[in-house]
Amino acid sequence: MYADLRDRSFEIIAAAQDTGGEAVAGEFYDAAHATFTTLIDTTHAVSSAFHFTNVPMGVWIDEQGRSVRPAEPAWTASRTNTFGGKPLEIEGEAYVAALRDWVINGEASAFVLSDEEFARRVTSRSPAEREADASFKLAVWCHQTGNTDLADKHFARAQALNPADWNYHRQQWSFAPDANRKWLAKFHALDQPYYPTLQLRR
Amino acid sequence: MAARTVGSVQERNAPVDTVLISDNSVALEPVDLDREPSSHTLWIRARDLPRVNGFILKPEGACRGPLCIPVAPDMVRGDAVNFTAFAESVGQCVVAEPDARIWSIGEMPAHGRDLATSRIAPDFTLPDRLGRPVHLAGFRGKKALVITWASW
Repeated sequence: MYADLRDRSFEIIAAAQDTGGEAVAGEFYDAAHATFTTLIDTTHAVSSAFHFTNVPMGVWIDEQGRSVRPAEPAWTASRTNTFGGKPLEIEGEAYVAALRDWVINGEASAFVLSDEEFARRVTSRSPAEREADASFKLAVWCHQTGNTDLADKHFARAQALNPADWNYHRQQWSFAPDANRKWLAKFHALDQPYYPTLQLRR
Repeated sequence: MAARTVGSVQERNAPVDTVLISDNSVALEPVDLDREPSSHTLWIRARDLPRVNGFILKPEGACRGPLCIPVAPDMVRGDAVNFTAFAESVGQCVVAEPDARIWSIGEMPAHGRDLATSRIAPDFTLPDRLGRPVHLAGFRGKKALVITWASW
């Protein structure tokens, strides 16, 4: 996709959201032979800025720095996986087709949201969600500086204050040997979608 | 976050107050002012305020660009400002581990409202794979997909 569109004044800005930084993300960028912009995001800065709650998620930004579409799942291929009998639908092909349409047609694309629709889809964080994010940043700092006890305390606090944010959980589980078991248990207990619903049409 | 620490400490092993804010970490020389070790309150030098949150203390208040926010008289003592009280006065939550001398400051409540109404994408700066800073604003003039992924 990037090879097809890069000459249309389009850039992919990928942020590796991982406390381990280049040491853990680099091999994936290498394997992908990435020619787009590749960034290292050890504190989940992009998710904080745009209120992402899982990976992969993305936003579209136009030539004037305006948001075209707010935070939404950003898969590049479609598939259905089943975990313990529970399906997880990934809608990537339609997302890529919509992105391609916008890059080619700009403002005339059917996937550009109106101001009203954009505002409807962007919600301010609640006080608990803002506190969760501050706790998560503190946890990451403590993890990176070797204070494991405080890190665990604040990872748990962030997860309790905003249980719907999978980034808080998945990042901490990446340090644990039983991450898959923890993920599966939470996934099965979900009473809401694992990803925000992808609503491509305005 | 460790790679983007702002500021330095003059003496090795000297105590340092660390403020985590807007995905930066700022190291500050402690201002004692009779602080109890476990106190949630953090006083900082007024001269350090700009590198912590971009505000400058002026007679009319704490100012950042055209925005000036009144500062209560009891938030200033000599050359120090009660930073946590100021943050909370503008709606930012403060998560503190005072014994470890770390304060994490939440986003301003207006952040989401501003994004929804102005549609201006919030700028961010992150290192590329070689550690060179990349600013989102540097891509003005192009359409961009900003996407996150993770190894986990």
